[in-house]
Amino acid sequence: MRAEALLDGGSPVDGGGAASTPLLKTEMLTVRFGGLAALSEVNFQVAREEVRAVIGPNGAGKSTFFNCLTGVLRPSGGRIIFNGEDITGLRSNLISQKGIARSYQITNILPNATALENVRIAAQSRRHAWNMVSHHSAFADINARAEAALQSVGLLGKAGELAANLSHGEQRNLEIGIALATEPKLLCLDEPTAGMSAAETNETKELIRRIAKDLTILIVEHDMEVVMELCDRITVLHYGQILAEGTPEEIQANPKVLEVYLKT
Amino acid sequence: MTSAPLDKGLPLKRSRLSHTATYWLVFGAVLALLVAAPLVLPVFWSGFLTEILIWGLLAMSSDLLIGYTGIVSFGHSAFFGLGMYGAAAALLLVSPPNLWLAIVFGLVGAAGAALCVAYFSTRIRDIYFAIATLIFAQIFYVIIFTWTSVTGGENGLIFDQPHFAIPFIVNVPFHTATMHWFVLAVVTASYLTLRRITQSPFGMVLQSIRENEARTRAIGYPVERYKIVSVMISGLFAGLAGALYAIQKEFAAPDFVYFLTSGETVIYNLIGGVGTLVGPIVGAGFFQLLRQFMAQWFGDQFPYLIPLGLVFIAMIIFLPQGLLGFARRWLNK
Repeated sequence: MRAEALLDGGSPVDGGGAASTPLLKTEMLTVRFGGLAALSEVNFQVAREEVRAVIGPNGAGKSTFFNCLTGVLRPSGGRIIFNGEDITGLRSNLISQKGIARSYQITNILPNATALENVRIAAQSRRHAWNMVSHHSAFADINARAEAALQSVGLLGKAGELAANLSHGEQRNLEIGIALATEPKLLCLDEPTAGMSAAETNETKELIRRIAKDLTILIVEHDMEVVMELCDRITVLHYGQILAEGTPEEIQANPKVLEVYLKT
Repeated sequence: MTSAPLDKGLPLKRSRLSHTATYWLVFGAVLALLVAAPLVLPVFWSGFLTEILIWGLLAMSSDLLIGYTGIVSFGHSAFFGLGMYGAAAALLLVSPPNLWLAIVFGLVGAAGAALCVAYFSTRIRDIYFAIATLIFAQIFYVIIFTWTSVTGGENGLIFDQPHFAIPFIVNVPFHTATMHWFVLAVVTASYLTLRRITQSPFGMVLQSIRENEARTRAIGYPVERYKIVSVMISGLFAGLAGALYAIQKEFAAPDFVYFLTSGETVIYNLIGGVGTLVGPIVGAGFFQLLRQFMAQWFGDQFPYLIPLGLVFIAMIIFLPQGLLGFARRWLNK
């Protein structure tokens, strides 16, 4: 299925790797907190332009996995290969520069800045960041990038609004906008619809579908409906290990997965 | 498609324009008052106002860290003191004493101190940063206090005031009013520079660090490097204040390197309103005037710190944003 979709999409865009090589790969990725292995020997791959969900009961290691990928945690063992490059143990600012962006489970915007300023700070992290003599709003390329990011999360109309004054759903989407403004190759979304109303969840679902057209996306999510609708493939984590992996249909029919989810 | 963002941009632009006009109008009015001050004030108060401007510059430099980067430095006495002793060195070693050389020496001295503090202290966070800067400042204090052969130790150094000189154009001794104007020019230029720095992309990164350090790192910024540079910039302006103080007062004394100076600098910020740049100048003025009036009304021996402390407590309860805190967003636009 996926291979066909990639062929349809034409030749790979990035010069760095062919479409057949995965964008992200972990080899034997392990994280130990004292004696507890939060992740043990996880071998994981995401293809370019795939939308992948990582699900699992609480404590399965999903957040730990994300934290490793984005440089918040240093893995105890194993390797993370992104775009053909070993990024294991790099700090989060370098990981961001390599092209992995993340939105947070807890809304993590700058509340006292406007929506536009929030995305603009992210957009300028790739250029002009050390400029000390021009006004921060004076760069056409950054403004265009920031406005594009706001547009793709549907917040252009609220560009001048203080982030603190946005609704919860809008703040969560602004989170995604900030991540998009860094022009990532891989976008990691940590429970993007958490705490949202049904209407907001639908909007965010549409939003993710829209941006998924030319992005690789990893989603940690509890809302199974969202997962089943949006994702090409699903990886199920359980006690820090991969329990199952497959298309939404395969996962729904997998007896091991059903057992884990019924038990918890 | 592209016209949509432009339309949205327009109302923002318009409000920005009227804001800009009001801002510069207020700026011009305050500046005009400060320029006119020595013409109407008695000599003592004119000199006092000059001193307030210098303390204001020190406080403003500290605001770059407290109000924008979100880190509290108790090391500003070191930057100020090194600026002061740097200027003293230039004024004592070079004859005739040269104004510009004094400033350059002061800046170099402060830069040295700032580099030390910045490199080591920015690796740690929050209260640990504050304590590390405090320790560094005290180290400089002890060195200056004990190295009597060079620094004059407890007695400090006394020197002559340089002339205001621009080669081949002008060479006149300072008097109270011209000293005031010179300091005013330096402080105004410093304010405009700092304001521009805080509005620049770099300044936005600092404010992003203040709001959310982990997030700032996650969107690609090497946070430590930004902190180091902000401490360096802050230290340079604090050193400039120290050099100006040495030039105005014609002495350098170890008391100013003592951590009390750092503490007062933080207090100026809290009184005036952090994150506004001009607030700390107002805070410095408020503090200095209050202290001066208390000394005048009740005599030199009066324990002025007690009522001053009560005033601060009251201000922190009833005016937690400081005197100019209400205008914070407006001032930073």
